[in-house]
This record gives sequence, structure tokens and C-alpha cells, in this order.
Amino acid sequence: MSRKIMIVLGLLVVASMILAACGPAETPAPTAEPPAPVETDEPAAPAPTEAPTAVPTEPPFTTTRTGTWMDEVSMSVVDSGSAVTQISAGAIDIYGGNLATPQDLQAIRDAGLMNSEQYGLYYELTFNPSGPVFEGTGKLNPFAVQNIREAMNWLVDRDYLNQEIYGGVAIPKFLPISAGFPDYARYVDLARAVEAKYAYNFDKANEIITTEMEALGAVKNADGKWTYNDELVTLIILIRTDSDGTRVPQGDYVSNQLEAIGFTMDRQYKTSSEASPLWVLGNPADGLWHIYTGAWGVSGISRSEGDNFQFFYSPKSAYGFSPLWQAYTLSEEADVVSEALALNDFNTFDERRELFAQAMDLIVPTAYRVWLIDGKGFSPWKPGLAVSYDLAAGIDINPLWSRTLRFVDEAGLPIEGGTVKWGNSDLFVDPPNPVAGSNWTYDSQWQNATGDYAAMGNPFTGNFIPNRLERAEVTVLEGLPVINTTDWVTLDFAAQIDVPADAWIDWDPAAEVFKTVGEVYPDGLTAKRKSVVYYPSDLYNIKWHDGSNMSVADFIMPMIMTFAPGTEGSPIFDESQVGALESFKSSFKGFRIVSADPLTIEYYSDVWYFDADWNVAGMWPEYGYGNASWHMIAVSNLAEAANELAYSADKADALSSETAPVEWMSYVGGPSLEILAKFLDQAAAESYIPFAPTLGAYITADEAAARYANLQQFYADRGHFWVGTGPMILDQVFFVEKTATLVRNPDYPDLADKWLAFSAPKLAEAEIDGAGRVTIGAEAAFDVFVSYQGEAYPADEIDNVKYLLFGADGALIEVGEAELVADGQYVVTLSAETTGKLAAGAAKLEVAVVSKVVSVPSFAAFEFVAE
Amino acid sequence: MSAESPTLEQTSGSVKAKATASTLSRVGKYTASRLITLFITVVIGVYLTILIANMGGYVDNIMRGEIREGIAMRLSQDQNYKNMAPEDRQEYVATLVTQEEKRRGLDRPFAVRSVGFLVNALQLKLGRAINMTSDSGSRLVSLIILERLPATLLLMATSNLILFFAAILIALSLSRRYGSFVDKMVVGLSPTSSAPPWFYGIFMILIFAAFLKWLPFGGMIDSPPPAEGLPYALSVLKHMILPVSALILSALFISIYNWRTFFLIYSSEDYVDMAKAKGLTDRDIERRYILRPTLPTIITSFGLLLIGIWTGAIITETVFQWPGIGRATFRAIGLYDTPVIVGLTIIYAYMLAITVFLLDFIYALVDPRVKVGGGK
Repeated sequence: MSRKIMIVLGLLVVASMILAACGPAETPAPTAEPPAPVETDEPAAPAPTEAPTAVPTEPPFTTTRTGTWMDEVSMSVVDSGSAVTQISAGAIDIYGGNLATPQDLQAIRDAGLMNSEQYGLYYELTFNPSGPVFEGTGKLNPFAVQNIREAMNWLVDRDYLNQEIYGGVAIPKFLPISAGFPDYARYVDLARAVEAKYAYNFDKANEIITTEMEALGAVKNADGKWTYNDELVTLIILIRTDSDGTRVPQGDYVSNQLEAIGFTMDRQYKTSSEASPLWVLGNPADGLWHIYTGAWGVSGISRSEGDNFQFFYSPKSAYGFSPLWQAYTLSEEADVVSEALALNDFNTFDERRELFAQAMDLIVPTAYRVWLIDGKGFSPWKPGLAVSYDLAAGIDINPLWSRTLRFVDEAGLPIEGGTVKWGNSDLFVDPPNPVAGSNWTYDSQWQNATGDYAAMGNPFTGNFIPNRLERAEVTVLEGLPVINTTDWVTLDFAAQIDVPADAWIDWDPAAEVFKTVGEVYPDGLTAKRKSVVYYPSDLYNIKWHDGSNMSVADFIMPMIMTFAPGTEGSPIFDESQVGALESFKSSFKGFRIVSADPLTIEYYSDVWYFDADWNVAGMWPEYGYGNASWHMIAVSNLAEAANELAYSADKADALSSETAPVEWMSYVGGPSLEILAKFLDQAAAESYIPFAPTLGAYITADEAAARYANLQQFYADRGHFWVGTGPMILDQVFFVEKTATLVRNPDYPDLADKWLAFSAPKLAEAEIDGAGRVTIGAEAAFDVFVSYQGEAYPADEIDNVKYLLFGADGALIEVGEAELVADGQYVVTLSAETTGKLAAGAAKLEVAVVSKVVSVPSFAAFEFVAE
Repeated sequence: MSAESPTLEQTSGSVKAKATASTLSRVGKYTASRLITLFITVVIGVYLTILIANMGGYVDNIMRGEIREGIAMRLSQDQNYKNMAPEDRQEYVATLVTQEEKRRGLDRPFAVRSVGFLVNALQLKLGRAINMTSDSGSRLVSLIILERLPATLLLMATSNLILFFAAILIALSLSRRYGSFVDKMVVGLSPTSSAPPWFYGIFMILIFAAFLKWLPFGGMIDSPPPAEGLPYALSVLKHMILPVSALILSALFISIYNWRTFFLIYSSEDYVDMAKAKGLTDRDIERRYILRPTLPTIITSFGLLLIGIWTGAIITETVFQWPGIGRATFRAIGLYDTPVIVGLTIIYAYMLAITVFLLDFIYALVDPRVKVGGGK
């Protein structure tokens, strides 16, 4: 009996182990892969925006509630691998981070959850161009030959990768621009032509590679393997095992394809840190690798990706420090094209289009990289909840999350109140301070809920929408190809833009006053761009979370802080800030407070963008890493000046010794709080006015005293110094336990439904109908239907509907625009001349619908027989 | 006997004094040599840790790559940078790289830094982390460790102490019921301990959190956290159930099996049979004839358990999102944060050395057959 029990128990153990082995692999703990910091070209304020143009996608709804729909959001750390299970079990309501694999999406669907869908990583193969014989090893490197690199385009079946690895939800990628961003929509015909050119063709790839290999002196042995100097040609592929894990099957697939045409593969599976010294820092001529499975991320919708050609293919790239990039050689013509696109050195959009066409002809075929997939990311939430998300940044980086997160009833209407349990992979990674604190997305997710902005990014187009601005005027030099698609910005052109002599352009740390343009440039100064922003008359009714009313000093302080930390002689000088300041000053031309109340600010710069709204310098009490009031900055400056705390990690490290450590400043916890509290008391006792020679004109001693008293009370109530003006207040923080609670800001002025129009992207659905047979040499017409959720897509929201005609051999024959018939209905007419170019056989008509309210183009295809 | 002749008492005293002096000398010599040996062991152990954590200096290359990549990615989004002349861009990048390399100490050769790490560590100057911060935002290694220590102590002490005493008590009992059903069951289940605690943790999460929804998936406390006091304590307790159970379950049967086998050896000694024959109670037999001679082993095991408590359980803490030392160690290794790794190692090394040192004396106290520095 007991023996039987033992056998049963033993079997149970074995079965449980097998079951476990069949389960999903353990998800690695959050890796230290920091996101790109939120960088702006402007000193401290995000550039403003466009009036809401997105069409409301929610049922009409009115409310008197201000701020957030939620009463409270409770944030905690959950493992991404269990996020879907935790939502299903009710442990959390929403996961703010990014899930990236098709298994994740399937789990979301199986669990009946809602999810966002945003552009995530994009993947490519990076080739080592050194050779054709490596100096370090004497081995052959086929990828030194451009034709072989280019042939890799035909060797890789991107559709297969998409279906097998990404479950069909990703997008095959052929170019260094994202299929979801505006440049792809602008030049969709150019892009589609490249895609047709590089469509999967194994035999063609094999033929080209065989020819080139033989030219290199390689021969195939009896086993059909390539040899060179009687040795097998072994290709080393560095396959990344970390990140989202999809590069392993990608690398294996590519290896299989190369093995199928006779190469011997050495698959080296490595993490980022193991691979980086080889492919980024290593000398390509050492011959330690041939192919690297690369991936790149996006942190928001990019309105212009022209600089990607230089970034990925030129030694002038920001990666120019790398020996690999230094090994890239572009023709003189290609170099000019990449430089022009990187610097926006063109006068019209037609010129830009021509540059893109040239880049696709001259640069893409160099094939230092072969693009594979535009990946997607997903963030899940439970049914009964709704939230807006950015098509590139997803949920947690998008400031709209806190302004749109809500419970909804069965009709989809918002329910006021409630607590949402929010999970993400980490929280409080680095010390938060607004000047040089944490830039992790895990921290920005709560920071952008507690902060506010002059303008908000349109989550579907990448344009800007005014939030605290009334209107703006932009003037740029004549000849710059700037366009205006908004109704809140006026755009003008001028032959010359003179900067007024009384504009402030630099900082005098000793006198604590701004230097004027007249003082620094007595002969005058010009700029390429001028921006004038007009703030609403009730701006100063906005309250900081400690109850203080906003004032003009809150707007001047960020400009002072743009200069002071990086200016030698300043009490808060930080050597690590010098480079960034010099970079900023290289294009900054001055700013001026035209009117303090209502606030109007002029701003001059040589940096310009071709969207008018991007040229608006919407200044706000934002310091790059969070909002802050002048009085909080004054307190932390005192601590910084006394060398008791440091805004930046660099300065903290530089000041620290074994016996006297100086902490990286945190506004929300740790040893910093006690020090900040001490200096707050000091400031309160003195009614301290910071940078008095400048700010003294805008701050009275009474106001200073009142503000410090408010801050003292806030600290007493909340136990931290993170004071913003956003719709939520950081209420409680538990560092070790990794949880935080945000509560609704009752003083937030905007109605809760302000951003409901951005609940969901209005992705067009396209369909083509027409005859299945077309007579060659006869006119043919096809109907195109464009809709959204079954309703006709309004014509005034459509930028254009392009058609592309492909012949039987897949070559692009013609590109044109469909004609509007009615809302949601277009017609494509192929002339007799056009159909005359078709060869007998199957042909394909494709349409690309480019919307004005969503950056992602939609496609539809129709196959017919030409006879 | 002459007056000069020493009396028996004097002789006895002299012998005692000589014996005492001899003992002191022996103990002193042993103590000194033991301390030196242990110190050398600690030095070697810590330096090896430094070498391994830095891959013999190769981590410098990894960090240099990370620095450059990070800066390149940041600058790629900086319009001011894009507008610079090519040579200015290169100079700017070089400046930023130099600053960051200096901050991370990469401006000095690894050999020099490794000695610095060692010397500081031996003096318990834990210094500042390179990349990590404590949960509350401090770069001080001591704070990084201290913040996580209570959570780890709570989890590991609870599970290990329960495991230790439960295993001993059950094993003692089984040692006297050799061949019983329970005994065979424990023997049969002992291979289950080949699976690590996180393995059980995943199963328990699936059953008790995902399916039954009785217990939380992980973390240390509810979100939002309850008010401090009893509700807070109860919340922590609720979050401890699964990880503590996983830690106990994964080692319980093998521990019982080990102790039971150990006790079996002693319980089959002749003097135990004699005690049984004399009619002593089971309790007396356990206490006087089994536990007492095994005390040095039990104490050793307990001592090592105590110092093991504070190192945490890296993967189990990760699976349960438990904010302990284990996760901090995992993160430090991932970030190549040598000061944190060395800080954790040196404290463990000193604690281990002190424990080993003290155990030698404790053996002598609990076992009359043992002489410090003199063998049995």
C-alpha cells in the first residue's frame, strides 16, 4: 500500500515538473534599460500645440466634475509576466507598461481584457561591413560586399517573421522610417516601391550571393557549404536574448536561411551588455561578428524621421563614436542627402520628398542594415475601464492617461469617482527632482499626472494641442518649408527676424540678472524663428498643490535654471550641465516677457520644425524632469548651493567623499527630505526671494512668506515636496513597498471631459471594389470605401487617398490620387494608357488612406486579372 | 620535607596555574591564527567577488559601451545637437562621455579601482553605488542595504526559523518511528526539494492568487496601503503567506529527511538502547542522549542559518516582488554595480567569519570532548 502511495506521489512530482517546464519562461526582472530621456530643444518648457482636431469618439457627455474622473489611483509594482493574470484576478485594474509578444496579446484576448496598441520596438539586422577579409582573423566577410548585404532583403521573408513570431500583429519593415508615423504616410508611394522591390525572393537572393561569393574566391564543397581558402565560411551572428525575447527566433530564422544557401552559422546568444562591446565598441575589422540582431525604440510619434538616414547609415551619426559607424562609407551624393535630411536643409516639401526618394535610392541599398519588423506593444486593462493612449508611447508616458482614465458604464459613459489599481514593472527607480532627477518611464507615469503642460501632444498625430495657451504666433524665415495645420497658431514668414535688444539671452551669475541681447550683441542679432505665446487671462488662478497661486515668477525661474546650473560662477554650478547648456545656447536667440498679466512671451531661436505648432515655445514651470514652483526651486537651490544636496547624479558623485556623502536630490523621500525641510525653514524665516535682482521685480516678501508657509503645510500633510499643478496630487509614498497613491486635485481648473475626444485613434478602414478582370488598354475604375466603425470617414478628416498599381511582376507601375466622390467614398480611375502598361496576368491595386487625425495610414489591396 | 619544598597544595596550584597558562596560551595562539586565517579568507573571498563581478575588468568595456549608447540615444532626440557642426558634435559627445566615465570611475584602471574596492570594503566603508539608488533615493550603499534588510529579515527569518525548528522536531520524532508510514512518506517526498522555492511559488501564485483569489500575487503590502498599526501588519502578514510557504515547502521534506537520518545514527547508539532498556521516557532520551551529542551540529546549522537569513532569496523575492536584499542583489548584478555587490558580500563574509570563529568556542562549551585549539 505504502509503496503504491510512494509511486503516486513520485508521479505527481514528475508531472508537476513537466507541467512547469511546459509553462512560460520566467520573466526576467525589470532590466536596467533606461528609456530615452524626455529632451526638448527648448529650455524648460514643452512646445505647445494645436486645437483639438480629433473627432470625439465617445458618446456625447457633459459633466461638471473637474480634474480627473478617478478619485484615486493606487500604483504598485507587478511583474509584467503576470500582468494579464493579475488583471483577470482583480488584483490590479490596468497595467501601464508595455507587453510586446504575440503571446501577451493572445493572453489579453483570451482573458477578455481591453488593450492599447502602440508602436514599440523596430527590428533590423546590422551587418559588419569590414573586409572582405577580416584583418583580425584572415576570414572572409561576405557582408563587406554591398550586393550581398542588399540580397539579404530578398533572403528574409518578413511576412513569415510577422506571422510566426509576432502573430501577424506587427508590420513588415523595409525602411528606416516607421510605418505608423507621418513620413511613411507622406511618402507611402516611395515606401511601397521599395517594399515591392525587396519582396521575399529566396532564389534571387541565392543567385546574387552565389555570384558575389564566387567573385570573392569562395567555393562550395561537396556538402554544399561555402568555403574560402579550404575553410568553411562561418558567419557569426550575435543574437540578443534579452529585451522582449523575439530576437532569438528572428536570429534563428535568419541563420536558417543563411544555412540553407550554404553558410555555416555560429549563433552566439548574448545580452545587450555582452554584445555591446563587440558590435558597438569593437573594431569591425577584428572579425568577431558578422551580423547583429538590432532593435530600436520610439518614445513618441515622430513628425519627422528624415534624420534616421544619417543616424543609421552615416559616420556623422550620434553613434559616430562607434568604430562600426566609422566603417560606413556613403557616396558623396548620399552624404549630402543624409545631411540635408538631418538638418532640414531644404526649402520646400517637394524638395524634401525628392531627398527622401534619393535616400531610398542611394542609402537604403547600401544595406548596412536590413530592416525586418515594426513591432507593436500592448497595455492591458480590465473591461469597464477606459483610458487614452499614444500610438507610439502607449499609456504610461502619455500625460493624457491621468486625464482620461475612468470607469465606464455599459454604454461607455464615464462614471465619476472610484479608485484604480495601477500596476507597472517598477516605481521610484531614481531620485525624483525636476532639474536632473529620475527620467525613468516608471517615474514619469506619476510625474506627468501631477504636472501640467502649456500644450499636450496629440496622441494620434504627434502635433500639439494647447492646454494652458490661448493662442500663438510663429514667424519663420522665408524659404523655410513650415506649414500650419492648426487653428490656434498663426504662421508668418519674414525675410529677417531681428531679436529685440532687450530680450534676455544669457545669465550673469554674479549679478544674478539676465544679460540682454543688446549687451551681448551690440551689433544686433537675428534668428530663424520667433514664437509669441499668449496665455489666458485667468492663468494666475491656477493653484499649485500646496495652495499657492501661480505667478509670472514661476515662468521666469525655469529660464534662470536653464542657465544657472551650467554657468561657471553660479552658486549652483554643476559641471555636468555645461555641455547641455552650450548645446542649447548654440541655437537659442533670446526671450522676452512682453506682458506679465496677461502673460505673453516672445521666444527666438535658430531651431525650427516644419509643423507650425512645433515651433511654438510654450513656456511652463517645467524643468525637464517635472513641474516645480519657484519657491520649491528656491529651497532646493539653497540645499544645492550649500553642497548638501545635488540635483544631478554627477555632481552628487563629484562632491561625495567616503566620510561626507552628498545625496542626489529627491523631492519625495530619503535623506534629502530632512535637508530640504531645513532650508525651507530657513527660507521661510528670511522670506527669501531667490535671484532677487531679477525675481525681486516679480515677487514680494509677503508673497514669498505665504508661499513658504504653504509649502511647510504641504510637507507636514504629505511628507514630501513634489508640488505640481496637475490633475492629481502625489498623496502617499511607500518606497520599500513600492507603492504610491495619487489623489484627484480638487483645484484643477479643467473639466474632466476635456480630453475625451482622444479616447481612441480613428484608424480608417479601407476597402476596394471593382471588376475582377481588366482589359489591357481600356480604362478601368475601382471604388474605394473609407470608414471608421462602420460610418463613412468624413472627407475633411482625410488628407489624401493614394493608389498604387503593381504589375504581375510586383513592380510599381503607377501612383496617383483617388478622387473624392462623397464622404467615405472615392474612385480610382486607371486610364487606358495606364492599363496598357500592364502585362497579362494578375495585377494589384493598392490604396493608402492618409488621415489628418491619425498618423497611421490604412491600406487596402485588390487583385485583378489583366487580359 | 624541607620548608623550601613545595607543598602538595602549592604543587597542585602551580600545576593548575601552569595548566591555565598553557590553556590561555593555546587559546590565544589558536585565536590569533584563526583570526588571521579567517581574515585572509575574507580578503581572498571579497577580492574574488570583485574580480568576478567585474569579469576581471571586462565590465569596464560593457559600461563604456552603455555610456556611449545612452548618450547617442539621448542626443539623437536633441534638436540643438543636430544643428551643431560635425566637429562640435564630436567634441560634445566626447565631453559627455568623459564626464560619465569619470563619474563611474572608469578614468582609472580597473586594477587600481579593484584594490580601492577591497580596502574600503574591509574597513566597511561601503561608499556610494554607481547606478543603483535606495528605494528612497539615496546612493549610499549602506542605505540601499539597510532599507531592504527588514523585509528580507522578516521573510527569511520567518520561513527559515519555522523550517529549522519544524524539521528538527519532526525529524526527532521520526527517528524514533523508523519505517512508519509518516517516515516513509517523508522519505518519499524528500525529492520534491530538488525544485527551488520559486518553482513552488509560481504554482502557489497560480492556485491561491490567480485561481482562488484568496491571497495576493506578490508585493509586501496592499495597494493602497492600509493605515499603520494592526491593519498594516495584517496586510504584510497576508503577503507573507505565499512566499514563506514556498520557502518552507521547498526545503521541508529534505530537511526533515536529513535531520531524521542524522538523528537515526545517534538513536541507534548502544547508550540510547541502554537508556530505553532502563525505561527512560522518550523525551528524556531525546534530550539527553540524542540532542545533546548532536548539539554542535545543530548549533552550526543554526548559526549558518542565521547569517544566511540576511542574504535573501534572489529569485523567490523576484517572483513574489518582495522588496528584499535578494532583489537588490539581483539588480546590482544586472547593473554591474560593484560597490553594492561588494557591500553585500563583505557583510556576509564578516558575519560568516565571525560565526565560524565563535562556533569553535561554542563547540567547546557544549561538548566537553572538544578543546579549543587542541582537537578532541
